[in-house]
Amino acid sequence: MSTAAELKRRLRDRSEHHLMRAAVRELGAGQPGTVAPYRDRGGLLWRLLFVPLYRRVPWPLKRRAMDALRMTARGWQPPERRPREPWRPPPPDQ
Amino acid sequence: MTERLIVIGGGGAGTAAATIAKRVNPDLKVTLFTEFPDIAYSPCGIPFVHGREIPKFQDLFLSTVERYIEDGLDMRMETTVTDIDMDRGTITARNTHEGFDKLVVCTGFTWEKPDVEGANLEGLHYVKDIRAAMLFDEELDGMKRVAVIGATPLGVEMAGNLGHRGLQVDFVDEGPWVLSEVLDPDVAAPVHESLEKRGVTLRLGTRLEGFVGSGGRVRSVATSAGELPCDAVIVCLHKLPNSALAVAAGVTTGTTGGIAVDDHMRTSLPDVWAAGDVVEVPHGLSMIPIRGLTGSHAYAQGRTAAFNAAGSDHVYDPVWVPWGMVAGDYTIGGFSLGETLATAMGIPYIVAKGVGVSRARYYPGATRTHVKLLAEPDTRRLIGGQIHGGEGVKERADFLAFAAKRGATLDDIAWMENIYSPPIGALFEPMAIAAQAGLEEVRRRKAVGAA
Repeated sequence: MSTAAELKRRLRDRSEHHLMRAAVRELGAGQPGTVAPYRDRGGLLWRLLFVPLYRRVPWPLKRRAMDALRMTARGWQPPERRPREPWRPPPPDQ
Repeated sequence: MTERLIVIGGGGAGTAAATIAKRVNPDLKVTLFTEFPDIAYSPCGIPFVHGREIPKFQDLFLSTVERYIEDGLDMRMETTVTDIDMDRGTITARNTHEGFDKLVVCTGFTWEKPDVEGANLEGLHYVKDIRAAMLFDEELDGMKRVAVIGATPLGVEMAGNLGHRGLQVDFVDEGPWVLSEVLDPDVAAPVHESLEKRGVTLRLGTRLEGFVGSGGRVRSVATSAGELPCDAVIVCLHKLPNSALAVAAGVTTGTTGGIAVDDHMRTSLPDVWAAGDVVEVPHGLSMIPIRGLTGSHAYAQGRTAAFNAAGSDHVYDPVWVPWGMVAGDYTIGGFSLGETLATAMGIPYIVAKGVGVSRARYYPGATRTHVKLLAEPDTRRLIGGQIHGGEGVKERADFLAFAAKRGATLDDIAWMENIYSPPIGALFEPMAIAAQAGLEEVRRRKAVGAA
């Protein structure tokens, strides 16, 4: 495996890990039945720098960055999810 | 001349690939290699035999080797493929080279092993092979206390079933609730309660630090919350793609470590396809590759590889991942992503929540069905959801995944048709209730914004 491929894999693995940790901590706080997650002392840069920065970037921009880094799938064509005007009931006066 | 297709792997994807390729093109010579002595059984049923919900392991077998041979397949049981030579078009097994024209790689997964001291002790069990499970089941008869490591879907099934069998179960995970990588925290309470009723002691927010043994066998689990005595440990961490053989042959892998395939299940090498737990496929919403999906995904991918290897043309769509399971006695499910994953990825969403009943409210056995839908804020198209309760979770997750794949919106679901028949369906469909509540919330917010 090339160094670039290994770097991309590592980037994905670490970023997913810390983004999930942050989301779990945030959404779980105060929810019945949950406890505080184990606080790992490692990954300081990921937690204090990467996660807040990632969260500031809008999703469409993140998607484009992932495409540019070739971290999205190649050779696939998703079926069209065509946004359309949803059906609505007729107005009451008709 | 007859073309030869070799399938490596006898799991769900491999068996599907071999049998369907032969059915699509009967002229094809199809050989299946598997390192195991058994084939065509459901490994997903193993936890339920341990829990004595299913009487015996034999019930998990769906077919026999002889049956596949009768269907014209060349079956190579207990035969490990050790090399693929793409230049010569051969594989090596038992020091013999065998030629192929087409190859389907379905080598599945291996379990992640804990990177701690004592991980090689006897008494650490990984759920995969049915023969090992049969032996472990006999050992369980003489045990009182076990530890399950990892609150993954398999971990939840093993903990719940071993509790049901009457064992004391310590369930250890770093996360703040079980299945925290999949399930949203608003579902944690009923799931935890159900597991605890089965005799499972939850050790959440707890880090695994090592295994302590004597005489070469595990005796306890060392954790951040102290030592837990045990007779055995069931390790249920993540699935890792078993891609080494394909990688050595030059197949490209992706960002998950799984084999990268296109929508025909073609790998980067000519005339080589791959399917199942060894590959990564894109998520329908983000197009980010994911892996480690369900047995039904593996089967469908094997089927796609078979059609294409047999000369037909079949496309596999990006996945919207309907999922469902029983946690203790409580049914949970969903599709695509929940709030936790959407928050982690930074995908914007609005939430629509509702509660309905699974049958007419007066009909005996009716259970509450909770539905949460996630939608794009601007288009209101569905992007994910979670369902929990008693009946009908699976069917709703399947339906919603398909609806989301086709671009359905909250409005579509709010006005959907549904069956009303007292024993099987209530007048008001829980999914529609959730969508209507979501639309009401959107209107309320707009009104507040306009004021």
